[in-house]
Amino acid sequence: MVNGSAENTKWMRGPSTPLRGALLGLLLERPGHGGDLANRLAARLGETWRVDTNDVYRLLEQLEKTGLAVSRDEPKRGNHRRTHLVYHPTDASAEALTLWMETLLPREPVRLALQAKLSVARQQDAPLVQIALKAYERECLLLAQLVHPSDGEARSWPALCMDCTRDAVYAQLQTEVNWAMRTRQRINEFMGSSR
Amino acid sequence: MTSLLSLRNVSKSYHDGGREIVVLDAVSLDIDPGVSMGVYGNRRSGKSTLLRLAAGIELADTGSVRFDGRDLATMSAGERGRLLRGEIAFMSAQDWRATPGETVLDHVATALGSEGLTMREAKRRALGTLEQVGLGAAGAEEMAAGLSLAGRTRVMLARALAREPRLLVVDEPALMPGIGDRDRFYALLRSAAQQRGMALLMASEEMAALQGVAVLASIADGELCSTEERGTVVRLPGRRRAGGERAER
Repeated sequence: MVNGSAENTKWMRGPSTPLRGALLGLLLERPGHGGDLANRLAARLGETWRVDTNDVYRLLEQLEKTGLAVSRDEPKRGNHRRTHLVYHPTDASAEALTLWMETLLPREPVRLALQAKLSVARQQDAPLVQIALKAYERECLLLAQLVHPSDGEARSWPALCMDCTRDAVYAQLQTEVNWAMRTRQRINEFMGSSR
Repeated sequence: MTSLLSLRNVSKSYHDGGREIVVLDAVSLDIDPGVSMGVYGNRRSGKSTLLRLAAGIELADTGSVRFDGRDLATMSAGERGRLLRGEIAFMSAQDWRATPGETVLDHVATALGSEGLTMREAKRRALGTLEQVGLGAAGAEEMAAGLSLAGRTRVMLARALAREPRLLVVDEPALMPGIGDRDRFYALLRSAAQQRGMALLMASEEMAALQGVAVLASIADGELCSTEERGTVVRLPGRRRAGGERAER
């Protein structure tokens, strides 16, 4: 068990914590520059996370400010006259990752915009809500379509972790699609019976 | 490209006592040759009816179902039966029937009875298909009736593939293999379709069973919501996205 003092868990605050934690894990696997880490993060989490390269640079700077990463100007591979910032883990990184693994974080809210619309929708808005629900359902299906399929049995630890990450994505999207389908159905039934 | 399978405004209702239940309400979809489509839906959402209409097992009340340009409603029951034993293959967990004393090889070879092949030729083709699904010569000699759930699933797939269909319709792939074998079975389905240039239409209650399809749709209340609506471009919010490597397996 590592020391979970308020100071040590400060970097786990805010909605970007999952990405910061995953970046920390990647840094511990091997150092890398911003673009490299963004690509590795996108590959590991899958398309549904829509990892933004600019966000990754920002998160790396945050990790550096909290002492969990350190950047050094290093020559580029294949062009030694040019340099780029390469991020490395620090002595505190491994313990911070363990602490993050141990910490149970609250679930983040989902489908905020649609919930907000539904909460105040008037009955005459029903057709518009139905359109919004169908668009949301289609977007979830598109995201599920982007997930790399499993090749079968996972034979390595990273492959197993990726398979389980993909399962999480499918489970989440399936729940979202179910919710959208059920809501559309309930609105249809209500509108049918109130005619 | 002409669609291999085309459904236009297809509707289907059943009568439950005095009540009319609309299972499919003006559903349209297209599947091009070699393309895979997955339909996600809950129980009693109409997905099995959709598949049965697509395979010509049932006929629509209104709208048209065309396979390679041919309207299934204008075909005789015999012609539709031949289509279903030839260019279209239909797989469902409920359809497993093995005769006692029958080997796996015989079970697959008998599916080729209507192809005009000699039994020897049929067995040669059956063996090739069994190898493709991971059951070699040893597996071919096993008794079909004694197979495990995973073994049955592979044999059902081999039986469907042996007829070299242009469209494979799979109802609820998640129910077929044992849980531990699901990912392997889904990967096998995808690779078989890809290698043969065969179109694939699957429906499941598990979204994960539909992984890797080119077109994904959901069905509820008789209405289809598809990622591919012809003439409509769906764009994801445009942000600078990262991408790249995959973990080694």
